[in-house]
Amino acid sequence: MEHSKQKQYGSSENKETGHSSVLNGHFDGTVKRPAAGPSLPPAAESGSQRPVMESWREERTRSVEDNEMSLPSLAAAYTTILRGLGEDPQRQGLLKTPWRAATAMQFFTKGYQEKIIADVLNDAIFDEDHDEMVIVKDIDMFSMCEHHLVPIFGRVHIGYLPNKRVLGLSKLARIVEIYSRRLQVQERLTKQIAVAITEALQPTGVGVVIEATHMCMVMRGVQKMNSKTVTSTMLGVFREDPKTRDEFLTLIRS
Amino acid sequence: MEYQHDIEINGEDKYLNICKHNGLFEKEKDSKDDTDSNKLSHIEKAYTTILGELGEDVDREGLLRTPLRAAKAMQFFTKGYKETTQDILNDAIFDENHDEMVIVKDIELFSLCEHHLVPFFGKAHIAYLPNKKVVGLSKLARIVEIYSRRLQVQERLTKQIASAISEALEPAGVAVVIEAAHMCMVMRGVQKMNASTVTSVMLGTFQDNPTTRKEFLDLAIRK
Repeated sequence: MEHSKQKQYGSSENKETGHSSVLNGHFDGTVKRPAAGPSLPPAAESGSQRPVMESWREERTRSVEDNEMSLPSLAAAYTTILRGLGEDPQRQGLLKTPWRAATAMQFFTKGYQEKIIADVLNDAIFDEDHDEMVIVKDIDMFSMCEHHLVPIFGRVHIGYLPNKRVLGLSKLARIVEIYSRRLQVQERLTKQIAVAITEALQPTGVGVVIEATHMCMVMRGVQKMNSKTVTSTMLGVFREDPKTRDEFLTLIRS
Repeated sequence: MEYQHDIEINGEDKYLNICKHNGLFEKEKDSKDDTDSNKLSHIEKAYTTILGELGEDVDREGLLRTPLRAAKAMQFFTKGYKETTQDILNDAIFDENHDEMVIVKDIELFSLCEHHLVPFFGKAHIAYLPNKKVVGLSKLARIVEIYSRRLQVQERLTKQIASAISEALEPAGVAVVIEAAHMCMVMRGVQKMNASTVTSVMLGTFQDNPTTRKEFLDLAIRK
């Protein structure tokens, strides 16, 4: 039942573009637990009209109870991993490691349990007669690479041109947190943040730039210590008007 | 408790044993290669379970081969268990009539916190006072690699590097300083972005003679 919903979902997504955007976590909203939270109605039938990016209105419903219930199997999985690596899970330093690692991993993916409307945005949208660029830069960001389950960290710079509505500044950082604390791909993360702000505020334009270091490239594989990956998403007037984009990019560099 | 475990592993000198603390479980060392792929598949299955339990959709395109990639990545991060100092040092010890300090600094280091299985990384600075035997310089960095590519605690890592060099070269003194950032502190828990942890081990002359120690710290640490 769940699977067919997911497949429907997946195939309607693929019709759009080759985007791997059955996005992180946005299947039908239920976690595989009997006592799961409310499941969202399958939106697959409207798939062809939907934008490629998931609306932030379809939110994850992993709950605190789900977390507690998953902990024993997560811990068991980590114990298997420790044994598979040749370590002794009974030695003093590793005794509680499966539990700690499981809780840590749940923390690194807590973006799946946070709801943008309820927790973040509701109260903090204000009507202001301001139409100049607002930038919040150097927001520290920590995410997990969905391909290797290894950390990604860096900085996010966000700029937007309000259209009579401004957002509480820390809410921009909270939006970053919600989307970055997931199994991510940097390109998708950038876009998700931009789209969330667009949908919440309907501003004239949004620009998001992320520069990050990928531990999967630094600690293993090609092992390039100093490499950084920069991705950006420009929407609205940031995309259309080169001068606006230029101003944004200059201001985030200074 | 820790130390007793060490003595069970091999009944050698207790001090050096502390450093052999996180070696491969004895019986693992003797296992043949054909069980390596077995182990890989166990780890892979464990990662599939983890992804499912975190609430992700294991069948979506981006995650299809993630359990295998993550398992291989984890094996890479713990490849130090299979390597020994003997393997890498044997040919590169030379007799030189040099008894002044040799320092190799800013050696990048990547390890895994054994408590949270989350990376910590930083730099190691190593110095030794040769006693008629010098070692190929890259071998110092290779020793760092062997011990850091394991599930580690920074204090133990520092000590293991120092004793490995001590045992191999029998120098007049060895000093190791590691400064690292622990992702388990930065990404979660107390979430302090800029905190870094510094540990050091001073053996021989570096321990006994404050001037020698000061010289090392000035040369290696001061920018």
